[in-house]
Amino acid sequence: MTVPLVEFRDVSKLYPNGTLANDGVSFTLQAGEIHAIVGENGAGKSTVMKLLYGLERPSGGMVLLDGVPAELRHPRDAIAAGIGLVAQHLSLVPSFTAAENIVLGHEPLHRGLVDQSRAIAESLALARRFGLEIDPQAHVADLSLGMRQRIEILKTLYRGARLLLLDEPTAVLTPQEIDGLFLAIRRLVAGGITVVIITHKLSEVKAISDRVTVLRAGRVTGTAPTRELDEAAIAEMMVGRSLMPPPNRSTGPRGRTLVEADRLSFVNGQGSVRLRDASFHIAAGEILGIAGVEGNGQNSLARILSGIADPCAGEARIHGHAFTGRGVRHARRLGVAAVSEDRLHDAAAAAFSIADNLIATDYFKPPQSRLGFLRPGAIATKAQEVIQRFSVRAASSAVRMGALSGGNMQKLILARELAGEPAFLIASQPTRGVDIGAARFLRGELLALRDRGGAILLISADLEEILALSDRIAVLFKGEITAEFEAGTADERELGLYMTGLQRRPAVVA
Amino acid sequence: MTVLGREILRAMLVLAAALAVGFIVTALVSHEPLKAYRALLTGALPEFARGADGGWAVRRVTRMGAVLEEAITLTFVGLAVAIPFQARQFSIGADGQVFLGALAAAAVSLAIGGPPFVVIPAACLAAMTAGFLWGLVPGLLKARFDANEIVTTLMLNIVAVQIYRLVIMDLMNDPAAGFLTTPALPLPSVLQVMIARTNVTAMLLWAPVAAFAAWLLMRRTTLGFEIRLMGENPLFAARAGVPIIRTTVLSIALGGVFAGLAGFHISNALLKRLPVDLNPGIGFSGIVVALIARNNPLAVPFAALAYAYLQVGAQVMERTSDVSREMVLILQALIVLFVASDRFGPRLHAFRRTRPFRRRAA
Repeated sequence: MTVPLVEFRDVSKLYPNGTLANDGVSFTLQAGEIHAIVGENGAGKSTVMKLLYGLERPSGGMVLLDGVPAELRHPRDAIAAGIGLVAQHLSLVPSFTAAENIVLGHEPLHRGLVDQSRAIAESLALARRFGLEIDPQAHVADLSLGMRQRIEILKTLYRGARLLLLDEPTAVLTPQEIDGLFLAIRRLVAGGITVVIITHKLSEVKAISDRVTVLRAGRVTGTAPTRELDEAAIAEMMVGRSLMPPPNRSTGPRGRTLVEADRLSFVNGQGSVRLRDASFHIAAGEILGIAGVEGNGQNSLARILSGIADPCAGEARIHGHAFTGRGVRHARRLGVAAVSEDRLHDAAAAAFSIADNLIATDYFKPPQSRLGFLRPGAIATKAQEVIQRFSVRAASSAVRMGALSGGNMQKLILARELAGEPAFLIASQPTRGVDIGAARFLRGELLALRDRGGAILLISADLEEILALSDRIAVLFKGEITAEFEAGTADERELGLYMTGLQRRPAVVA
Repeated sequence: MTVLGREILRAMLVLAAALAVGFIVTALVSHEPLKAYRALLTGALPEFARGADGGWAVRRVTRMGAVLEEAITLTFVGLAVAIPFQARQFSIGADGQVFLGALAAAAVSLAIGGPPFVVIPAACLAAMTAGFLWGLVPGLLKARFDANEIVTTLMLNIVAVQIYRLVIMDLMNDPAAGFLTTPALPLPSVLQVMIARTNVTAMLLWAPVAAFAAWLLMRRTTLGFEIRLMGENPLFAARAGVPIIRTTVLSIALGGVFAGLAGFHISNALLKRLPVDLNPGIGFSGIVVALIARNNPLAVPFAALAYAYLQVGAQVMERTSDVSREMVLILQALIVLFVASDRFGPRLHAFRRTRPFRRRAA
């Protein structure tokens, strides 16, 4: 057997805060293969990536490159060893051209100045060699995410990478772009590059990888040729239990229309239109899913509906009462609640206790407070109830929110928003970055609210989630609702066409 | 180790580190650095000596008195800074609030007669109101015009000091005095001295009460919850429906109430008449105190005491060695530097007990 390109031999990583992120991890990467590393959030995938790219150093075991123990102390060392990382969040300069981004940091010089024509020629040659067509003179700001990712890949190749690490590369791509990426990955491998792809989407593992290594709780639970495993087997290795079938849609009759959005429009501070004449309605006991590539107005829509931003035109009504443009408190009083898309950004106070986070939206109501004074006893009791009902893994309600895992944090955020039994819930990316078990629990809670007669607007970048939960689906493209479907009448592929603007049809206004 | 224990340890480390670096600087400028530092560190202590008649006598009580007097002022000013800081409002307007608070207290004391139990609460209330109202201004400017509170509070300090001087020169000047000052405050309005030969009054007891009240406000009221939530994550506070404008305005104005108390203390306990050339700058000492206390109201009195102790020690150092009092300004700057370096000192999480559950790393 040939010497593997990379070997992890019993590698452990203990973070100073006591987290054992990798616990005796061993696996090999063979030259020229596509190797998928899968696992739930928190399983230690990213740590493997960081160790390999020199961002972290192992606290035990060793990493061998070409059979020789390697000391990767800095990304510099990794790059010198021919390892390139394409991170989840791309790091390109938007105002630079594709070629300028590719050669960034290693620019060909001519009399001390960047040699633009050579930069373009070299980028183009590299792109041709691997069959990844680009326009080297296009500005990155004008390019799609899929194209930007391609440029990021070329950037690492330009620095001499022979091992390419792709961290959740499909997270922000449309189905069509994912096909393009997979085609590109195969061309890279044909060109002699080894590819490691980190993902938690099992269908992608099957579609692209030659071999798969599964991590759970910092340990390798299996490594095998992909063709020998089916999705269920991989899933079981990931979560340690078999997956239950996905939740079903409601079959019962829907209630009457509860929420109406009427030609909502929003122009941001820079004068660009984020939302244009968006109209829709949601009945009691119905989930309306918003499909769309991120950045097509979802954020503006969620902010307007939750009362944090005022629409430039139009309004939304609940029970016939307008609730937009009147502040958060007003909307909440009318029964509107919102789970925002980024937990730590604007949905939680990391340094506050669990209990304090849970009362953040209704601290001024009894029994949490009386006559302006908080009642710690009542607050703690309430928090303890939530912790138990949502089976949050925390020692007590006094634990800092920031110390919790993403899944537990998201459970608490949803619990807080559900506490007032909202008539209308805006759920933005409700399961993003949480593990499978927590995601299933959270989806179950959304469905339970719907079955109790709540109206839900579900905004998610995860098309599978949209398809699994929604009773109706609307597609948002460049701030406009370009299509609306009854559940079951459109599949991922068709939605993808509308999401990328290749097709559109006027919204069905009831 | 408890959180409080860790914070106390950290504060002491910060002070020790600042003093250590300060000693190096002192050694560079002084021929007698040891003597100077001894004066700095022990100069504020009273001295117990056997008198000629064989009994014990306490000497240098005034120094200890000066420490307590200054600590009271700094407690109030530290609270005045800590409250807006907790809301992440970097108000540095305590100076102006103190000046107008003192002015209001003196004006009321001079204007209304009556027994102490009428005039003292009235003067105190006037000072708190003045501080509150002056604190409303930057809050409203920020809420209405999005004016940066650092700039407005700094500028309003100058305005307040000039108003103070104008009022004392033109309206409250005592022509009989040999310098520009208000008349002496009438006796019923002056606080009773508790320790002979000092100006330590009942304010010594009221300062910790004020700290406790501030703690109660921040930790046990809905308004305090709003202030802390806004300081911790303003975007989340807005999403949760916290009235952002009201909270912004009130956080600075409530700080002003405590600054007003400092003004009352200066006017009716320490000086008993207000000279036109009262020195600004107490607000900045208040910022240092709030920083050492990490904006925790209960820690403010201790930080204030430590800081006042060093300031009086510095005066002794200036008198008894060749080191100038400016050395203390350097120490003050060093303390700010060390406190501001959040990660200074032993890694705090090393003290933390292992959590009962795993923190997700990926």
